[in-house]
Amino acid sequence: MITSFLMKSLDRSILIVVAILLGLALLVPALNLLTAPNHPLHVPTYLVSLFGKYLTYALLALALDLVWGFCGILSLGHAAFFALGGYAMGMYLMRQIGARGSYGNPLLPDFMVFLNWKELPWFWYGFDMFWFAALMVVLVPGVLAFVFGWFAFRSRVNGVYLSIITQAMTYALLLAFFRNDMGFGGNNGLTDFKDILGFNIQADGTRAVLFAASALMLALCLILTAAIVRSKYGKVLVAVRDAESRTRFLGYRVEHIKLFAFTVSAMMAGIAGALYVPQVGIINPGEFEPGNSIEVVIWTAVGGRGTLVGPIVGAILVNGGKSIFTAAFPEFWLFALGGLFVLVTLFLPKGVVGTAGAYFARRRAERKARANEAPDNLAIEPMAAE
Amino acid sequence: MYRILQILFVALCLLISTHVVGSRAADDLGALVDQLGVAKLSDMDERISSLAKTGDAKVIPVLEALGEGELYQRKSDGKVFLVKVQGADLLLIDPVTGMEAGQAPKAAMQKVKVNNAVRRAVRSALGGLTLFSDDTSARLKAAQSMLQTPNADALDAIEAAIATEKDATVRKVLDEARAVTLLLSERSDEEKRQAITLLAKGNGRTGLAVLTSALANADAALKLDIEAAIARIEQTQAFWNAGQNVWYALSLGSVLLLAAIGLAITFGVMGIINMAHGEMVMLGAYTTFLVQEVIRNSYPGLFDWSLAIALPLAFLVTGTVGLAIERGVIRFLYGRPLETLLATWGISLILQQAVRSIFGPTNREVGNPSWMAGAFDLGGLTITWNRLWIIVFALTVFAALLFLLKKTPMGLRMRAVTQNRRMASSMGIRTPFVDALTFALGSGIAGMAGVALSQIDNVSPNLGQGYIIDSFMVVVFGGVGNLWGTLVGAFSLGILNKFLEPYAGAVLGKILVLVLIILFIQKKPRGLFALKGRAVEA
Amino acid sequence: MNQTIGQSKPTSILYLDGVSVSFDGFKALNGLSFVIEPGELRAIIGPNGAGKTTMMDIITGKTRPDEGQVFFKGEIDLTKKDEAEIASLGIGRKFQKPTVFESHTVWDNLELALNRNRGVFPTLFYRLTAEDMIRIEEILTTIRLATRRDDLAANLSHGQKQWLEIGMLLAQEPELLLVDEPVAGMTDAETAETAVLLKEIAKTRSVVVVEHDMGFIRELGVKVTCLAEGTVLAEGSIDFVSSDPKVIENYLGR
Repeated sequence: MITSFLMKSLDRSILIVVAILLGLALLVPALNLLTAPNHPLHVPTYLVSLFGKYLTYALLALALDLVWGFCGILSLGHAAFFALGGYAMGMYLMRQIGARGSYGNPLLPDFMVFLNWKELPWFWYGFDMFWFAALMVVLVPGVLAFVFGWFAFRSRVNGVYLSIITQAMTYALLLAFFRNDMGFGGNNGLTDFKDILGFNIQADGTRAVLFAASALMLALCLILTAAIVRSKYGKVLVAVRDAESRTRFLGYRVEHIKLFAFTVSAMMAGIAGALYVPQVGIINPGEFEPGNSIEVVIWTAVGGRGTLVGPIVGAILVNGGKSIFTAAFPEFWLFALGGLFVLVTLFLPKGVVGTAGAYFARRRAERKARANEAPDNLAIEPMAAE
Repeated sequence: MYRILQILFVALCLLISTHVVGSRAADDLGALVDQLGVAKLSDMDERISSLAKTGDAKVIPVLEALGEGELYQRKSDGKVFLVKVQGADLLLIDPVTGMEAGQAPKAAMQKVKVNNAVRRAVRSALGGLTLFSDDTSARLKAAQSMLQTPNADALDAIEAAIATEKDATVRKVLDEARAVTLLLSERSDEEKRQAITLLAKGNGRTGLAVLTSALANADAALKLDIEAAIARIEQTQAFWNAGQNVWYALSLGSVLLLAAIGLAITFGVMGIINMAHGEMVMLGAYTTFLVQEVIRNSYPGLFDWSLAIALPLAFLVTGTVGLAIERGVIRFLYGRPLETLLATWGISLILQQAVRSIFGPTNREVGNPSWMAGAFDLGGLTITWNRLWIIVFALTVFAALLFLLKKTPMGLRMRAVTQNRRMASSMGIRTPFVDALTFALGSGIAGMAGVALSQIDNVSPNLGQGYIIDSFMVVVFGGVGNLWGTLVGAFSLGILNKFLEPYAGAVLGKILVLVLIILFIQKKPRGLFALKGRAVEA
Repeated sequence: MNQTIGQSKPTSILYLDGVSVSFDGFKALNGLSFVIEPGELRAIIGPNGAGKTTMMDIITGKTRPDEGQVFFKGEIDLTKKDEAEIASLGIGRKFQKPTVFESHTVWDNLELALNRNRGVFPTLFYRLTAEDMIRIEEILTTIRLATRRDDLAANLSHGQKQWLEIGMLLAQEPELLLVDEPVAGMTDAETAETAVLLKEIAKTRSVVVVEHDMGFIRELGVKVTCLAEGTVLAEGSIDFVSSDPKVIENYLGR
């Protein structure tokens, strides 16, 4: 059942993107590790990590697209799910430091020693084990999304109201994680990581593997998302987006439909965060900034919401642009980003991929229509072209 | 009888020492000052008090210089001077005559040593000296300092001052200072008991601190009185603290109201999520800054009028910007609230960066006009003028807006559009015109809010970001399309916030408020004062 | 009147007794009572604001009544259930404005409406069976949209959207169908065809039609209930009702 469920999703565009991602997962690490630094095709390690970061952003955008693009839920809380996944991974990496911290305490992370804490708080237990942390990476955002969504969707909080309360949730988490008493490193967050699964986190090899893992995970989540939206459930999602009360009068429990998508999406965001943290080497409360969540929305919008490939393209385009822009004209990046918000909503509501897709669909339809009108011409046409 | 004699005696001594034997005093003074140079740190206390006992006004600059570390001894003859640094050399000033006495290289001088104990002694001595100043405000200040840092040695001086004091306010502070000081002294239990009674009536923290420390080494008889007095003070304090909290809550509520009220209009009437609303507030604050810059540079006399000038200007500036945003972007997005949210967020980024590029990323200074500065006491409350004016201003804006909506033709049209856009349009109301004006009005009010908020907040490009989430919470909590909802929402959130703060701390309190709002929206998705009926649900 | 209604409760398909609801002081329904028998096709007329749509909202669980009883099939209390539950029980509703899923094809619209398990996981792993395909084909023929199965619903004409929505209701296999102004905005030919369609549907289930078009109602030739100000004004054949002086006063006009 599961395989048929997944196989159904593999249409051409998904296959192409999955193939590209798999290719990247092999090629980029190879070009980084196997070529000499002065080789023209050499990919320096900082670029590997940068691209890896983009891939995690792409995964985050994909997660948002599942709820926004396909179900019309504009969540302004996805940065929070991303950050929670990141914190879960960060806690594992903190525990891995062990006695190598500045204070040399074998159990307590540096910031706890600094705060004069004597014992490890209960919620830090278990994070020394990778499997446990990995579980928390999906579980913590998932449970939060489930509980939050259960309340919100049941009371039919919709549209902008939902956006505003997801933003309030993110903001509350931001304030909470800034507090030292919370036990997550306060303002400074978690950083100074040493190794992951026993490998030095700074080493080129580890970085390359992390990149490959990000690409693979993105491919996997893409297939999963595709399977979800191409199933009958996915059709119901779109139905909820387009005519919520009609769906309800057909007998669908809209709150359950939304809740499932929201929870899955939050889990994917958590995974993205967990892959992000080891590649950038730090997680701090700044990741909860309400502005970050809204930025994810613009990646998705630029690429094309309601398409599967769009958010991936959008996240990479916008962040690539950001990296180039902030290096060349740092003053103007916010102008560019702000302008992008306005222009995309006004002139490109379907995004790059959506618009291109619509264009090709129209071309196909026209060709088909022409073929139907004059089936004889079809055979002659190629010759006429010569 | 004994007390009166004592007071008379001290007063007499002071009179004699300051006025009658001036010339001899000058010689003595010189000698006394010179002694500071040779005294050991442990002896300084005594020297300072003997200086202070002269009651000579000339002692004041000497003691001040000592406290500041500007008192030096000449190595050659041991004479002590006040100095000012002039390049490599020191400019000497004679402590007795106050005249310049030539220069000396640094090497020839040695600084009179001070430590914290000495500084404390200097402060209290200065306090005692200024108790007899001719300037009422100086006396008040001195009396307050005696009250805050009581010192048993000063008791005689305080009592002497009470005897001559005519100003009621100063007298009251002196009485308290005497009571506090008396508890530290070796006076009789009877007198102490009177002092305790006096202190119990007040609500000063110093009184409480003194009583608490007195409790430790008081005898059994006195102990009961002290405990009763402490209980009484604590009760009064709790009462006034609650009052002060209400005041803070009202103040926060008015700030929230100001920030949210423009949003209530655009969101309520037009269903538009204006994420750039905070930036309108910010632009209003920067308008105030510009107005004050011009006034500072060209017409300093008008400074007290700066806010009155900035208000209409800010309204115009932000109203125009709002109009441009509505005509340029938002009108293409009606009926697509989520897209509006994104586009206005983009605009907010552009506005922030524009202000950052023009004015720089740091805080700009916006001053308080004199009528906005300072505070006054109301019972045990401290009321700051700027907060008071902001409450008044917020309520005025609210009332004006209510009047506009309920009593003017424009308001009628706005309300019609709020309730049923299509119907209003078919009744011949030009909804695009109403939309544009409404948005401009909402933005303009945000700009005026910015003028007010510039008085209590840092004026930086991020100013608006701090208000946007809170404003949305107020509007959503209060209910869309109803100004009263916004008023009630703003003040209830203000009160909730300030009353959670003492128990949970500021940050946790805020988190709790956010969580409560999220839960509240589950119960009432349309807020406190929601419009009901079929049209709204469709 | 309540007496007779009370007796018919166990055998009825839909039973409303003394239902009232008000919005901000405005009484949309005021002690509304009527009964629909199994297999009955009933037309409901009334002026704007008579409470027709509110009545449907209450039956389908969108609005809760302030007082009164609403029972389905004699014993199921509808006032305690929400829209999805009521839909699953077998009550279908067509809106005044045609609402179909515009970004889905005609086929997908019907597939979504099919009366199958509508939970999250059953839909996630749903596979189109031969049985379901036949059912959808049947409905496509009934609603005369067989040639447009792969077109997006957004590209249908207004009348075709109305039919698609009726088709979706059929796919839902309801025992009771509530239809709100099915011929609004249709051409005369489409109206006539819709009347035939509805009569055909009413053979196997109960249907309640709300309509303004008196010609259409005459064409249906069924029992008519006239509502005004939230309560039943008259009930009977179309000729009986349209000659009632109160109905003329309130609705038809002199």
